[in-house]
Amino acid sequence: MEFSPKPDAALLIVGHGSTENPDSSTPYFDHAKEIRDRNVFGEVHCCFWKEEPSMREAVYMIDADEIYVVPDFISEGYFTQEVIPREFGLTGPTTVVNNKTFHYCDPVGIHPSMTSLILQRTDEVAPGVPQEESTLFIVGHGTGLNKNSTKAIKDQVDHIKTLPNCRFFDVIDTYMEEPPFIADWGKLAKTPNAIVVPFFIADGLHSYQDIPMMLGFEKEEGLAASQKEIFRRNPYHLQEKTLYYSAAIGTEPKMADVILDQISTFDAQNDAH
Amino acid sequence: MMLTKVLSDALDSGINQIGQLRILRHPFRLHHIDDVNLDSLELHTNPDDAREIGLYTSGGEYRFTKGELSLRTGWIFEFESVEELRRAIDLFYPASLGLWNATNQGKARVQNLRDKLNRQTGMYRHARNVSDEGAQELVRSLCGPSNKCVKKILWKIDETTALEDSEASRFNGIIGDEETVAAIPMVCQEACNFFVAQARKRAKKEFEASEQ
Repeated sequence: MEFSPKPDAALLIVGHGSTENPDSSTPYFDHAKEIRDRNVFGEVHCCFWKEEPSMREAVYMIDADEIYVVPDFISEGYFTQEVIPREFGLTGPTTVVNNKTFHYCDPVGIHPSMTSLILQRTDEVAPGVPQEESTLFIVGHGTGLNKNSTKAIKDQVDHIKTLPNCRFFDVIDTYMEEPPFIADWGKLAKTPNAIVVPFFIADGLHSYQDIPMMLGFEKEEGLAASQKEIFRRNPYHLQEKTLYYSAAIGTEPKMADVILDQISTFDAQNDAH
Repeated sequence: MMLTKVLSDALDSGINQIGQLRILRHPFRLHHIDDVNLDSLELHTNPDDAREIGLYTSGGEYRFTKGELSLRTGWIFEFESVEELRRAIDLFYPASLGLWNATNQGKARVQNLRDKLNRQTGMYRHARNVSDEGAQELVRSLCGPSNKCVKKILWKIDETTALEDSEASRFNGIIGDEETVAAIPMVCQEACNFFVAQARKRAKKEFEASEQ
């Protein structure tokens, strides 16, 4: 999707952040740097719920009077529908607050262009592995509290299955805390190969530890420092199948394109420019 | 006025410090105030490196509150422009320049603790139940230099309840002697989300104590 530069506007990427895991905010800074290097915005900043700057502090960092707020979140939910609008004082797609115009975009995870990222990631993590003999698992957290949290993944699965060049034997949405459980991957996969892509923005305990334990190749809790090794030891041979495990989809550098796509979609839908 | 110009003017007026950062000009340089022998320091030229340097204490602990008085030493930045200098400062101390500028202009939207807690939703909505006494104690135990935060608190408990006198409530946001140091003070316009999380825990404890 062609992006029309906005030299007089600021981009504000909103992430969750963490008080325990510094890796959790790294992808947001990576995405910001990638977009800053392209010179398509006058300013690019990040802000967080759990780290600094907070959303309310970040506004003070911005010179521009027009701000695109993009939630770097994987799905619609409590944060995108309640917390972010509340913290910025947003009441609709475009809101003027203290003389600054805020455009509030949808979260990156629900944009259709996430699909190409997932497929690219599967090629990287399992190069040369025949899709016809593979099951692709997209893994989310899942929670009974919010149906939206699974919708983004179900939409991706449905979309991938309809692609004319999709040759995967099956594509299945799975979750940590609701069925179909990723822990049952061995039963769900009817193929000799399984490719697992965590549908999270950042690598953290879920992708380093929880999901690997559910898949069966990590037995106990490890230390954060060494956990990136988990993504470098592919393939894993478990349950008479070959398993390929990817880092969280949000760590993909091309997430920067999805952020820009989400802004272009916002403009097209809201006639902002 | 653009923040880069605000910073530039501040440097022209003689300001050379913010938080634990020493700012030098001609060329633009940035290093820890405790580092004296500049030749022995690790040289950086990319402002983005500031995030990495500010991520951990020298003991390897994660600094999720950037106002912590725990910035490690041993590095120096050299920049070609004041824009790069500003970006590095914003990574070490996010929004500190903008908040200082807004405070000077009377435009900082300070939010008192009760207003901050009352607008919390989800699991954090319970934080509003913390007592005034509990909140005052949290300020003493979480804020101020003794607890590693170097920001000047601008907020009160509510419009009619000031913070009780303590090192935390008195701190002016400047490290060192205000008479001799030319520094941009670090300011806190509203309680941070770490404070809110601790207020929630405190409210829970108070509730459990009242049940017994």
